[in-house]
Amino acid sequence: MNNQQLLKGLLLIGIALLFGVTSMRYRMGALAHPGPGLFPIVVSSALLAIGIAVLARSRYLPRVPVAFKARNIGLLIASLMGFALISALLNMAVAIAFLVFVSGLAAPTYSVARSLKITVCLLLIALVLQNALGLNLHLY
Amino acid sequence: MDILQNLAFGFSHALTLQNLAYCAIGCLVGTIIGLLPGMGPLATISLLLPLTYSIPTDAALIMMAGIYYGAQYGDSVSAITMKIPHASSIVACIDGYQMTLKGKTGLALFSAGISSFIGGNVAIVALAWFAPMLSKLTLYFGPADFCALMLLGFICVSFVATGSLLDGLAMAMVGVLLGQIGTDTTSGAARFTFGQDTLLDGIGVVSIALGCFGIAEIAKNLDQGTERSPFSGKIKLIPTWPEFKRIIPSALRGSIIGSVLGILPGGGPVMAQFGAYAADKKFSKFRHEIGSGAIEGVAGQAAADEAASRTSFIPLMSIGIPENPVMAMMLAAFIIKGIQPGPNMIASHPDVFWGLVASMWIGGCFLVILNVPLVRYLLSLFKIPYAVLFPAILFFCCVGSYSVNNNLEDIYLTGTFGLLGYAFMRFGLESAPLLLGFILGPMLEENFRRQLEISYGDFGSFVEHPFSGTLLALIAAFVVIRIGMFFFKVRSGVPASAAEPPN
Repeated sequence: MNNQQLLKGLLLIGIALLFGVTSMRYRMGALAHPGPGLFPIVVSSALLAIGIAVLARSRYLPRVPVAFKARNIGLLIASLMGFALISALLNMAVAIAFLVFVSGLAAPTYSVARSLKITVCLLLIALVLQNALGLNLHLY
Repeated sequence: MDILQNLAFGFSHALTLQNLAYCAIGCLVGTIIGLLPGMGPLATISLLLPLTYSIPTDAALIMMAGIYYGAQYGDSVSAITMKIPHASSIVACIDGYQMTLKGKTGLALFSAGISSFIGGNVAIVALAWFAPMLSKLTLYFGPADFCALMLLGFICVSFVATGSLLDGLAMAMVGVLLGQIGTDTTSGAARFTFGQDTLLDGIGVVSIALGCFGIAEIAKNLDQGTERSPFSGKIKLIPTWPEFKRIIPSALRGSIIGSVLGILPGGGPVMAQFGAYAADKKFSKFRHEIGSGAIEGVAGQAAADEAASRTSFIPLMSIGIPENPVMAMMLAAFIIKGIQPGPNMIASHPDVFWGLVASMWIGGCFLVILNVPLVRYLLSLFKIPYAVLFPAILFFCCVGSYSVNNNLEDIYLTGTFGLLGYAFMRFGLESAPLLLGFILGPMLEENFRRQLEISYGDFGSFVEHPFSGTLLALIAAFVVIRIGMFFFKVRSGVPASAAEPPN
């Protein structure tokens, strides 16, 4: 089952069905006066056809397993989401420190001193962005 | 004479202190991101886009353009010195790196720098000449023609960017569907919002670009876990007269090839480099040396690379249709700054158009200085380990997403697209056609619906127009040929992966 081509075809079919089925809820209109549902259903149908073709093609291509390394992307997304959450609850200065210290875990080597230096540099950059370019960053 | 007057008008805008400063910043940032792995012009333009709100329109566009063509210079430097292949410098790795191995790094860098300058200048002439002509011609295009042009763009980008027509086209369609999220401008109906009010305005292009190209790219680099060792060899930049003479014909040949290939849909630096390299292998006086470290192998492709990056502005500014994903991002930049590229742009915003054209020449001068005498200092950037760089890139992704609407929820959206972009990458799907589809999707729908209304619902009207009919016939022929080739190779026992590479 862990076949890149097969899973790719299934993913595309899934996306096509998600948009295609949802677009059926919108008014199709007549061809001379198309409604909001017509164009998405045409595109979803095209994507569905491509997805089926990719699925069929997987029979002829060599099996390649999908190498999904969850740790690194997981840490990056967690640091990003945490940045947004902490910025909303506290301020962006603390959020920057969280972002650097958590995302740093994804690096091949981890150093608290290095993370601290990066945090200080990014805080200075954020101050410049706030004061020179007028960005509304809520640093403190 | 008109062109000279217009160029003089453009220089009067581009040579203001403010525009000169932003042009220099764009070129410097472009060169740096071209040099460093893990960032491309696409991600950088999307990162900086929200930061340009407080900058005047012409200065912001001059800076964005500088980032794009500056990145073409920078990536050939890292390809020559360290064999780091960026998307648009694969060819530079061949002869450029061979010259480094022979101790001729300085000569290779000089050849690339001067050739890029020549290529850029030839392309500026083409841009100043053809863009106004093409925009007048475009006034005769109808909605069916625009639909066919956009479809041709999807097909070409899908094939060039991914190598697999099916995969690329699928991603373009996913992009078109993502572009449907939000309120339908014609009927006012909310589509695909799934009850989320934040989606009523649609998804921001910055969130998609930063997620799919910024975050997914960082994750990919971290997964590979390789640190680059900086270049530490000697650089002797000044060539001898016989060496210099070898650069010119190859650079001119590359400039012409690049200028032409840059205009074609789906074209751009990658295709132009391969075209110029093939031409040098066939026509150069020193063709027997190409592949083992010849000046021509570096000069021709560098000129084509730079020329194509500039002439790819022609379809964007005269027709309003971007031909590659970076140009799609430039289209977003134009629209955010309140300018709609297309047939009327040159007439309604001559200061922006001619200012941008003139700034490209000034940018070319900046880039020669940056990439020839100052190149050794730029290479010291590689001493910064990736473990230090990527948290900073991540921070800019957050600030870039947030600053568009001063909305923290946009960061969640960027994170979602980061995860999606990474998943697409692991499934062997390229995100570049997705971005093009996302930006062109609403335009495609608008023209599709308009054509149906004009023709009272007649689908045949799309092929009845001579221009759209010809383009659609070409698309159909290309698709049929690709399918035929696939089955022919499968039947004749060639490994199926060779018939249509998976990515």
